[in-house]
Amino acid sequence: MTPPPATSVAAMMRPLPAAEDSRSNRDILAVMGRPTLGYVALLLLVVSAVAWALGTFVYQTYVGLGVAGYSHPIFWGVYIVTFVFWVGIAHAGTLISAILYLFRAKWRNAINRSAEAMTVFAVATAGLFPLIHLGRVFKFYWLLPYPNQRALWVNFKSPLLWDVFAVSTYATISTVFLYVGLIPDIAIARDRSTGWRKALYSVLALGWQGTSPQWKAHNRTVLHLSGLATPLVLSVHSVVSWDFAASIVPGWHATIFAPYFVAGAIFSGFAMVLTVMIPVRRIYGLERYITDYHFENMTRFILLTSLIVGYAYGVEYFIAWYSGVEAERTSFWLRAFGPYWLSAWIMITCNAFVPQVFWFKRLRTHIPTIFVVSVLINVGMWFERYVIIVTSLSREYNPAVWGQYTPSWVELSILAGSFAWFSMFFLIFLKIFPVIAINEVKELEIHEKEHPGGEYWEHGHTYEEVH
Amino acid sequence: MPTLVGVFEQPAKVAEAAKRLRDRGYAELQVYSPVPSHELDHVIDEKPSRVRVWTLVGGLLGVTAGYALTIWMSTNWKLVVGGKPWASIPPYTIIAFELTILLGGLATLLGLLVVGKLPRFRPDPAYHPRFSAEDFGLVVSCEERDVAEVDGLLRAHQAKEVNLVEG
Repeated sequence: MTPPPATSVAAMMRPLPAAEDSRSNRDILAVMGRPTLGYVALLLLVVSAVAWALGTFVYQTYVGLGVAGYSHPIFWGVYIVTFVFWVGIAHAGTLISAILYLFRAKWRNAINRSAEAMTVFAVATAGLFPLIHLGRVFKFYWLLPYPNQRALWVNFKSPLLWDVFAVSTYATISTVFLYVGLIPDIAIARDRSTGWRKALYSVLALGWQGTSPQWKAHNRTVLHLSGLATPLVLSVHSVVSWDFAASIVPGWHATIFAPYFVAGAIFSGFAMVLTVMIPVRRIYGLERYITDYHFENMTRFILLTSLIVGYAYGVEYFIAWYSGVEAERTSFWLRAFGPYWLSAWIMITCNAFVPQVFWFKRLRTHIPTIFVVSVLINVGMWFERYVIIVTSLSREYNPAVWGQYTPSWVELSILAGSFAWFSMFFLIFLKIFPVIAINEVKELEIHEKEHPGGEYWEHGHTYEEVH
Repeated sequence: MPTLVGVFEQPAKVAEAAKRLRDRGYAELQVYSPVPSHELDHVIDEKPSRVRVWTLVGGLLGVTAGYALTIWMSTNWKLVVGGKPWASIPPYTIIAFELTILLGGLATLLGLLVVGKLPRFRPDPAYHPRFSAEDFGLVVSCEERDVAEVDGLLRAHQAKEVNLVEG
């Protein structure tokens, strides 16, 4: 037998021509191609909105927090509302990537990357708000236990400090999670790019080659990170809820807050994933990977969590009445029928009633309906936090110190800026990293090629059906 | 020493070929795979991945650090806040919990780098971009005189192509 042909190393390291590449590589890497005019226009729009918000923040820092709508007794307003809102949005990514991973729900493969990226960007957005709310932002390091002359440490018994630890841990771990999942996909991009992209991906891929010890370590790492992230994601919004529940303000002081907030977070997070991924799928033609089946599964989660959230609303009112505490009863009565009645009814309608349309299969699989409902949920969930925070603070125990709050233009600019900031990161991410986990989708494809007609997807969906 | 790369389409065939080669006494094997595959997990290394040790040590460090930090810092000013003892375990558990996750997670990442021998600054001579498409590669280093036999074995297990890399 003649020895096999020798191949020169240089010839092997050239980028693989597209014609020889696998379909999933080509389809998903195509999203990272040359930006269209619409993309550039949208990016410019959001960057200008971020710049405007930054300007108003500088103005607020210069003249003081008086330019926010704060007035006695309401010193937690739009900033804290928006903080809780974005922390909530951040929960879907970890739910999809960690909890569904542990449950071996394979349908997560098509959406986990975008959801994880959204998690990181949502935390990056949320993390700004406690700082914006500080007023004297240059004192932010007072939040951290740093050595100082008076040997004075932070108060570890304060829920606000638990928040610092919970949110910063969440930001770190979700970034690690996203990056670890990205390494094999960055290697795919590295092998198919030239110029600055090649340089960038070569560094970020860490020299990944997909050897079996590497995959083995990678699998373990993802498993362990999932195991760590699962209790973490449940703890983060619980801790956020304790910012309120550990106080004695009527409307806040409730034991149901932790599970209520966690369910609401997953609810809003899934809605945001849908709001973002429905247009992305359509614009980039990713129907082969993100199927209606995926969207339908998410609507089921939304329906479930909507019921939990609706139940929590009911329980809050019941307990307020059942407790017999005058201040609680008044607070909840005024929540629904007082000056903030509109916010309260927006919240109840959008979160508890509208998602009930998903009981019907026709509506659950109708993409425009899903999109509209997901946007309404986002609105509803922002108002939920507004209702919880503002109405409770405005009607505390002593009627003599009741007050009114209206958000100022500075707060609304920064609120709008937060959406732009989140979108800006997501738009940039779309063009730099694969928005679908290529190696996970490919794993299903290769498995299907080896075992045709096998259990490609759960629930009896075959490969042919979903493609 | 010459190095041969067999290119395969199915991970199961790679696993079979690797087992056969190992039985024939070829110990220097490496596998490239575009996707994680349970069939290939034990081809090169039988033992479970040591990333688990990293996670455990990181997590234990985190929980210890969490309690140690909070309790030690409370000793500076033994203040009674909210009627709680100056070192109050329930709230400190939250800090300890978060640090367990934080250090556990970061240690797991470090574990991935150490166990997976990353980062690597130079690609292996045998690596090819096709192994991040759909092909699987089995790399065998052998003596000059064994090239023909290894080539035959790889092809016998449905290697669609065998290349010789001068390493």
